[in-house]
Order: sequence, then structure tokens, then C-alpha cells
Amino acid sequence: MSQTSPVPVRKPPSQFSLTYGHLWFVLPGFLFFLAVMLLPLAFAFGISLTNWSGLGNDLAFVGLANYGELLTHWPFYRAAFHNAVIFVAILIFQHTVGLYLAVLLNDKPRFMQFYRTVLFLPVIMSLVATGFVWTLMLSPNIGLVNPMLKAIGLGFLAGQWLSNPATALAVIVFVTAWNSMGWAIIIYLSGLQNVPEELKQAAEIDGANSRQVFWRVVFPQLSPAFTALTVLTFIGTFRTFDVVYVLTGPLGAPNFGTDVLGTLIYRTAFGGSSFSSADIRFAFGVAMALLMMLVMAAICWGLIRILRGREIEG
Amino acid sequence: MTNMTATPTAPLQRSQGSLGLLLGKTARTAVLVIASLWVLGPILFMVIASFKSVPEFFINPFGLPADWKVENYSRAWTDAQLSLTLPNTIIVTTVAVLISTILATMIAYGLSRKEKKWAMGLYTLFVAGLLVPVHAIILPLFIVLKAVGLFGTLLALIVPYIAMGLPLGVLVLTPIAAALPRDLINAARMDGATEWQIFWRIVMPLMKPGLISVAILNGVWMWNEFFIPLILAFKPEVQTMPVGIVSFIGAYSTEWGLVFSSVTVSTLPVVIAYLLMTRQFQSGLTAGAVKG
Repeated sequence: MSQTSPVPVRKPPSQFSLTYGHLWFVLPGFLFFLAVMLLPLAFAFGISLTNWSGLGNDLAFVGLANYGELLTHWPFYRAAFHNAVIFVAILIFQHTVGLYLAVLLNDKPRFMQFYRTVLFLPVIMSLVATGFVWTLMLSPNIGLVNPMLKAIGLGFLAGQWLSNPATALAVIVFVTAWNSMGWAIIIYLSGLQNVPEELKQAAEIDGANSRQVFWRVVFPQLSPAFTALTVLTFIGTFRTFDVVYVLTGPLGAPNFGTDVLGTLIYRTAFGGSSFSSADIRFAFGVAMALLMMLVMAAICWGLIRILRGREIEG
Repeated sequence: MTNMTATPTAPLQRSQGSLGLLLGKTARTAVLVIASLWVLGPILFMVIASFKSVPEFFINPFGLPADWKVENYSRAWTDAQLSLTLPNTIIVTTVAVLISTILATMIAYGLSRKEKKWAMGLYTLFVAGLLVPVHAIILPLFIVLKAVGLFGTLLALIVPYIAMGLPLGVLVLTPIAAALPRDLINAARMDGATEWQIFWRIVMPLMKPGLISVAILNGVWMWNEFFIPLILAFKPEVQTMPVGIVSFIGAYSTEWGLVFSSVTVSTLPVVIAYLLMTRQFQSGLTAGAVKG
């Protein structure tokens, strides 16, 4: 206890407040957290051990049967595969286009502030708004994309983007890229601004050209940004729901071509657009969500371990 | 880095012609302009579309509307129920952000002395909340909210938002709280300030930049959240804008002008706030992203 106060001590603080005073500050928040996150989570695990449909009182304890069934439930793998495709595509996009734009902005071009403000803008827009913006752009009747493709001589590409199974998933990737590019730019930009100028100058004096300076000196310094962006992209793309829901509906249209874990869980637990109660298997959906949480947590942990390890070596 | 030193003639390589430099600069500007157009174009196109009448979408899909239908906005206000969902969104976001940020600051301050055994465990528990899937807890939550009589009120959204904002708040704020000057806090304690006074008059002001980051991070998320109100807010009286707009479209899918004016209204307040405080938004959102 450092006695820096010049004011004479009026009242010695009680031992209680010094030792345990802090615990009381945690309590109100903890109660909220307990009531809204922890108890429902425990409750959800309990439900996942039953065959409850979510409606009525008809339920029986089935143990881990839901989890067992999941292991051979092929729509689960199909949805997870679509998530993985979106993840890989967005990851590549962020670490190439996003990084390149950040490098361009780091050179402080004219109107840098303007570009930075604009390119980050979609991040603050809701995914619902993003979905509608692109529903409009891609609409075969009233959209801009098809006429623009025709105007630049790529008319053969124009089509019914969202109802064509071959392009629907690509559209989801494209729209997700539009919405999330700002993250890559801003994270890489702050990483680039932390690279010491002397390091670059030293390499230049040693005779490295600008490409060598970037790949051998600057890029290794960006590994914390690389880690953050990769983990963020992983969590974001495996949780994706809003964009798919708005662009292709809860069924992952067409013909489940864009079905992701988010829509599959939603449909299983709460019913799709059809709302025929026979399809609703709430307990099974909850088991799916919990399994997804565990797998995601494990992968996240692994990703962070691998990428952080690389950071230290670099 | 070893093979770099083997090229002593490199300074010559770097002296490119001024034409090459100019071309490179032009190409880089072009990339930035194209990227900006890619972002702004669709948004502007949607804003223009929000002023069109239904027939004009088909007669003149790409040009400016011949007749600017400002009444799309007044109709969105009444028909698309923005008169209910816009105030709801403002109330829910404001109340939840305020309470969640204050609670997260209290937790962060409480946990900031990591030498305590329980502090590290609790910290991990709160932060692990980031991984809890909303899908799994939403129906148990629905049942609990119904049992305590909150279902069908705005509190059915506010209470979950407060709790779900805590993990990120704790994650961002605990390191900041741990770096607070202990001497200042101890001095105040010596002067007889209560723990609550210390928190309110010293800790909160010192942590203000972090608080703003957390408030922006959670505020943007709550304003835009779609899945939770999709399940927990079933009627317009308690819905927020994203889900209100989606359910409106289910009912009147041909009223494109109304749809886009609603989307524009739902986006505008965040965009204005962002343009007024661009720096705080960018650093605030990044703080959460990098730590998350």
C-alpha cells in the first residue's frame, strides 16, 4: 500500500473493502450473465438429451442419441461444407485484396481519409441491409449487375444469380466479402502503422527492393494482424446466418445449395418457411448448435495456438 | 534476410523512371477508386431506388426516378411500421448499451486484480461467453422470459443484449482496468471515498476511451442484430428494424420502394454516427476484433 496521499488519513479503510470490495462489482453483471447465458446453456444441454420437438409436453429422455444421429446426418456435413467454402474464400479475399488495399492506404495517398471511411462503411451496416442492397443489385429485372456485365461485354455471365445453384453460393461469398472487407483493411492498416520505419530503411540500405522489403521485412511484422483477421473470419463465416436468410431464405435456396449451419439449425429447431410441425425437432437442433459450439471452440483454440506460435517464431 | 545482402547493386534497381512511377501511382489510385465505387455504388443505387414508385422499377430500373416518391418514406413510417420499430430500436440499443457497458466496466474493475484466484477463472468464464451460440440458448431463453413475464415487452430484447454484450466488454476493458493507476485509487480510499464513489468518480472517467470503444462495438451489433429479435420479438410493437423490415417483406414483397426506404432509414442513424465519429468507430470496432 503506497502512501502517496498528502492528505492526512481520516478513516482507515476496512480490511473487508480492501480484500473483497472488488467482488461486489462483479456481482450484478454476473447475475445477468448467469441468468441469460449460463442457465439457458445448461438448460439447452438438458434439452439436447431429449427428443422434445419444441411444442407441447411430449418428451422423453434419449441420452446422447441426438449427438449420435448428428454424426451420420448428412445435411449437417453439407451445411458445414458450405461454411468451410465461405470461410476459405473470404480468408483468401481478406489476405489478398484486403491486405493490398491496406498497403495502398498505408502509402498515404491523396484522399486517404475518404477511401478509409468509405471502405470501412459496410462493416457498420447490418447484414440485413447488406442483403437487401445486393438483392436489388443482383435482381434479374431491376438490378444493376446484369446490365453492367452486358455493357462491358460479359453478357454471357448475366443470369439469375440467386436461383442458379451454380452461382448462389458464390453470391453469398461475394456479398460477405463486400460486407467484411473493411475489417481486413482496418486491421492490416493498424498492423502496417506499427512496423518501425527504421526496419524498412535498414533493409533498403542493405539493397532490398520494395517487393523484398514488403515480403521479408514488413509482412512478418503483420502476423498478429494475420492471426486476428483469420480468427475473426473463422468465427464470422461459421456463424453466418443473416446474409443467407435475406438472400436465399431459411431453406438455403436453391435446393439447399446455400444451406449453412446457421440456417440448418434455425430450420431444424424452429421450422423453415413451411412451418409443418413434423419437421421441427427442437432438441435435435439444439444438439447441433452445441456440437457446433464445441467444434468451433476447439478449432478456434487450435488456430490461435498455431498462429500465435508462428508469430513468436517470426 | 541473408540473401538480400548479396545484391549490392540494388540502389540502381530502385531508380525507376518517373514515367513508371506515375503509371504505378495512377494504377494504385485506380484500384482505390474502383474499390470505393464497389462499396458506394450499391448503397447509392439503393438510396435512389428508395424514391421510386413500383412501376418505375420496371420502366426505368437504372436511371434516376422521373418522379421522386418522397411518400415512400412516409408510407414506410406507417405501412412498414417504422413508427414502431425505429423508436424500439433506439430504446433497446440505448438502454442495453448503457447498462451493459457500465456492468462490463464494473466487472472489469472487479476482475482487474488478477492475483485473486477467482478473478482469472471468472474472466475466462465471461470471455468464453463469446463462443456461446445464440441458436442454442435462444429457446431456453424464450421459455425463461415467458415464465418471468417479460416476453412481449422490450425487456425481452434488452435483458439478453445486456448479458450478451458483457463478454466483449470484459475482454476489452479488463486489461484497461488492470493498468489503472493504483496509487490514485488508494489515495482516494485513504481520503475516505467509498468504493462506489471511487468507481464512479475515478475509475469510470479514466476508462472513458475504452468505454466508448465497447459502447460502439456493442451498439452497432445491437442496432443491427437480426436473429435474436427474429425469435424473441414476434409482433411489430416490440420488434427492432432489421426484423421488422424482413417480416414486412414477407407480407408485401412487391413494394420495393417501401422496402428500400425502410432499409435506408434503418441504416442512416448508424452511418451518421459513423461519419461524425469515424476514428472512434474504426478504432473501437478494431479493438474488439483484434482482441476477439
